[in-house]
Amino acid sequence: MNRDQSRKVGSAMVVGGGIAGMQAALDLAESGIKVYLIDNKPAIGGVMSQLDKTFPTNDCAMCIMAPRLVAIGRHKDIEVITLADIEKIDGGPGNFRITLNKKARYVDEATCTGCGTCVSNCPTSNRVQPVQKEKIELQPEFKEKVIEIVESNKNRDGPLMPILQQINSAFNYLPENTLNYISQETGYPLAHILRIATFYSAFSIVPRGKHIVNVCMGTTCYVRGSERLMERFSDLLKVKPEETTPDMMYTLKGVRCIGCCGLAPAVMVGDTVFGKVTIKDVPDILSKYKKTA
Amino acid sequence: MAVRRIDLMLCTGTGCVAGGAFRIKDTIENEITKYGLQNEVSVVITGCNGSCGQGPLMVVQPDGIFYGWLKPEDIPFLVQEHFLKGRPVKRLMFVPLERKEPVPLMSNIPFFQKQMLIVLRNKGIIDPEKIDEYIARDGYTAIEKVLPLMKPDEVIEEIMRSGLRGRGGAGFPTGRKWKVCSDERKFPKYIIGNCDEGDPGAYMDRSLFESDPHSVIEGMTIAAYAIGASRGYIYVRTEYPLAIRRMQIALSQARDYGLLGKKILGSDFDFDVEIREGSGAFVCGEETSLIHSIEGKSPEPRQRPPFPAQIGIWGCPTVINNVETLATVPVIINRGADWFSKIGTATSKGTKIFSLVGKINNTGLIEVPMGIALREIIYEIGGGIPKNKKFKAVQTGGPSGGCIPNNLIGLPIDYESLTKSGSMMGSGGMIVMDEDTCMVDVAKFFIQFTNDESCGKCTACRDGSEALLEVLTRISEGEGKEGDVEFLEELGLAIKDASMCGLGTTLPNPILSTVRYFKDEYEAHIREKQCPARVCKKLIKYYVDPDRCVGCLLCVKTCPVSAIKGELKYIHIIDQSLCTKCGQCLEICPPRIAAVTKLTGKEARELQSLPGPIPVAEWKKTKSASKGDFRFTPYREETDREHRGDNEVP
Amino acid sequence: MAKLTIDELRKKREEARKGIYLRQGEFKGKIIVHMGTCGVAAGARQIVSAFMEEIEESGRKDVMLTTSGCAGLCSREPMATVETLNTPPVKYIDLTPDKVKKIFKTHIMEGNIAAEYAIGIGSERGG
Ligand SMILES: Cc1cc2nc3c(=O)[nH]c(=O)nc-3n(C[C@H](O)[C@H](O)[C@H](O)COP(=O)(O)O)c2cc1C
Ligand code: FES
Repeated sequence: MNRDQSRKVGSAMVVGGGIAGMQAALDLAESGIKVYLIDNKPAIGGVMSQLDKTFPTNDCAMCIMAPRLVAIGRHKDIEVITLADIEKIDGGPGNFRITLNKKARYVDEATCTGCGTCVSNCPTSNRVQPVQKEKIELQPEFKEKVIEIVESNKNRDGPLMPILQQINSAFNYLPENTLNYISQETGYPLAHILRIATFYSAFSIVPRGKHIVNVCMGTTCYVRGSERLMERFSDLLKVKPEETTPDMMYTLKGVRCIGCCGLAPAVMVGDTVFGKVTIKDVPDILSKYKKTA
Repeated sequence: MAVRRIDLMLCTGTGCVAGGAFRIKDTIENEITKYGLQNEVSVVITGCNGSCGQGPLMVVQPDGIFYGWLKPEDIPFLVQEHFLKGRPVKRLMFVPLERKEPVPLMSNIPFFQKQMLIVLRNKGIIDPEKIDEYIARDGYTAIEKVLPLMKPDEVIEEIMRSGLRGRGGAGFPTGRKWKVCSDERKFPKYIIGNCDEGDPGAYMDRSLFESDPHSVIEGMTIAAYAIGASRGYIYVRTEYPLAIRRMQIALSQARDYGLLGKKILGSDFDFDVEIREGSGAFVCGEETSLIHSIEGKSPEPRQRPPFPAQIGIWGCPTVINNVETLATVPVIINRGADWFSKIGTATSKGTKIFSLVGKINNTGLIEVPMGIALREIIYEIGGGIPKNKKFKAVQTGGPSGGCIPNNLIGLPIDYESLTKSGSMMGSGGMIVMDEDTCMVDVAKFFIQFTNDESCGKCTACRDGSEALLEVLTRISEGEGKEGDVEFLEELGLAIKDASMCGLGTTLPNPILSTVRYFKDEYEAHIREKQCPARVCKKLIKYYVDPDRCVGCLLCVKTCPVSAIKGELKYIHIIDQSLCTKCGQCLEICPPRIAAVTKLTGKEARELQSLPGPIPVAEWKKTKSASKGDFRFTPYREETDREHRGDNEVP
Repeated sequence: MAKLTIDELRKKREEARKGIYLRQGEFKGKIIVHMGTCGVAAGARQIVSAFMEEIEESGRKDVMLTTSGCAGLCSREPMATVETLNTPPVKYIDLTPDKVKKIFKTHIMEGNIAAEYAIGIGSERGG
């Protein structure tokens, strides 16, 4: 321990190269401090690189991270040390001495482009195996209809949308298992199907009621007071917009203009449009559908 | 063009057409050309003028001479005598009887008179589910002309000359789009009819499908022929079940007749169309996103160029046109580019369908020539604002457009003027707003819409709309700060610059235009914490005016949260801590009582409710000096009472 | 159906005109009920059935009842257009089954316009 404890050094080590570590390293480096950024994984990035969206703003994770990765790579004062564990820490604040254990990598980091070919071709380990899928069994209540829909559309150009639309209108929602089935039959990855299924507002992946009450929230209806209609429906059905009553009879939904603006405010139940609806009409509209329940 | 000396108003109402009006028209035009009069005399086609018994008929303007019972064989004589030599022909003249008309002529009702039906020529006349009726109204004559007689290039040339621009929003010249696509050497090519119509408040495409689907099919076929496509798609929103059904019927009828399919009308041209449905995503109206949606990919737009006309669906050259654009095509082919380009303004040709909705007396679909003044639309066609309220603004262009304030009411409606005023043509929704509409609320509504509908691909649009919404919500709740308006503007401009597709680049328009024209309203919300139109819930209070309340219990019974206390013949009092501001009490209170009012700003903040129940009779006796604190100018929101029937006081 | 050639299409057109223009066919009256989404929402179906009942009751075979798309004035739906031979078409607005009864009686049977429910006579300006 010959080092002069009082001589403070202008450098810092950030342990862990996740998004927090990366930001910390950047902030430090920006204020003129030399930074060693270490991580025990082969690359920095951490968990965030595996996320699609982040809470609460629904930001795309990669969009936040990528600029930081680049900035770190380019920063003259940041040294990235990966595949490294901390062995020993000596010294005190302002003058630590840290011993790292850096694992062997067998790859020239400077020339590697990260193409991944070596990983998939490695003869011993890390082999990317195709997942063996089990054949998907549909529940009896969906089976016949779903098979019919899938079979009749399978060979069209761009079969996914028509299949999802027809299943959605047959059951008022997209049952989870059928999505697996579609994936198996059409070859679209399940992740892609889910992405489509959750993108469009007409699709639902949770069961919905027998009658879908669409209260128009388009501009015309809005200036003519559709918000209050919505509240009234909400009061009467005791559910919030986008929810389904416990008896699975009604789902309350706001839609964007049903093209009936001449009769604003408008409400569409199933395929039937009601025009010039007033708050007083709301119970009547609902009672029309009670009978058929 | 020389100044025209004579206009011949030839009636083409149902009656006169049946009597051969179009044959008369052809003969007249031939004769006119024979004498070289085509620059002096023009033939104008009009709707039924109500004297069907004398048809086919024609009125010669400016003299107002009326010829009835015309026959083709009379025409040469008539042209020679009247138009060449200037001697009206007595024999053919008809003097209309002076009839007392209890019912006005359609052509005298401003709502109909100011319109000019080109795309909607068949609306309300034919049965959309019968192809024969479309054919009878000269349907499919354009195909009849194009297939054997015109080369694809000539069709494109004709459309270019007509000056037709896209009706889907941006107004791109249709002929140019077709040309780019037809120059591509990759096959197959595709044509897509865009009927996604996501703009809330616009429904002309739906109406077109419901009243005249064949005109779209004919237009698409011609477009396909011009660019060399053999397949077409029509992309319709799933919210339009009736439109989808009628289009399906129309397609199968056209196939039966051989107007779609292989070797159309005996030519070598093959073409067929398939319907694809959307599923409730606004962004799918954007062309690249629409293509992704049909392909079953994630429906996010992509960067352009390459434009779809170069690389479109399945990687092939694709023309995407709005269906209204396509429905205009057959008319242009039939009547010629010259005729079409005479309608409208220098840069915007033809007619446009608008849906005139909102706070206006005559709501409906109107088709008007481009360049018509906003004033004519609002006051003459629309018949003004209900209940004599003040016109405040009209919103055009849906969520991408802006509000045009009442001091710009002379604005001619065409692509350029609308853009200059900070709005845009969009697909043609015109939502009229009166003094009861709060502009901050409207801006908030649209940003909420775009924020919901943003696909999330680019940050500027996704997060920018979120940030805008946050500030707007703050303002509408009375928490606005100085500098908020400037922030909205700055961020809005940044989003415009940084977004990728049309959704993002136009999303700030509702804010930018309302800030530009209605800054005082924003400032009232921010500085005085008051909503001048009494809409923003956090800034208003409902209040029963004791001077007017008769204690009828109507509002007490209606209130869904039992916030109104009162007994029969006692003045009713709203408990502000319970009130959810649903407005039902105001709606139910009979207009001649009009006791329920809305307060805002200082009035609302300093509102003192009556301490406890007082019988109506007793209150009336109280000296007015001591009631001072509880009185405010009653404010009535006029709702559509005529459709509800007046509420009776029990 | 066999595919049409151009000549057949033209022939078809001549024939079809008889169906839609009163003058060329055997019909003396024509009723068009406007059934776009707005019309249907405002109750156009009832109007159609009311007219049908009336026609049936009157026993007339020369009155044609058809449907069509939106007539444009959506706020005054349900609407219908009534036309008799050699008279201009008349548009009726805000219909109810009761009004239908009266209109049928005065206009179709007696040939007078039911002025109290009519908005206008004639048709609109074409392009
Ligand atoms: C966010 C967004 C929404 C759109 N929605 C529609 C629509 O609903 N209907 C439409 O015809 N065009 C819509 N468009 C315009 C289309 O991208 C495209 O320009 C249009 O269909 C082209 O047809 P046109 O040349 O006939 O106008 C939209 C564009 C954007 C950016
Ligand atoms: S805005 Fe509600 S139907 Fe168009």
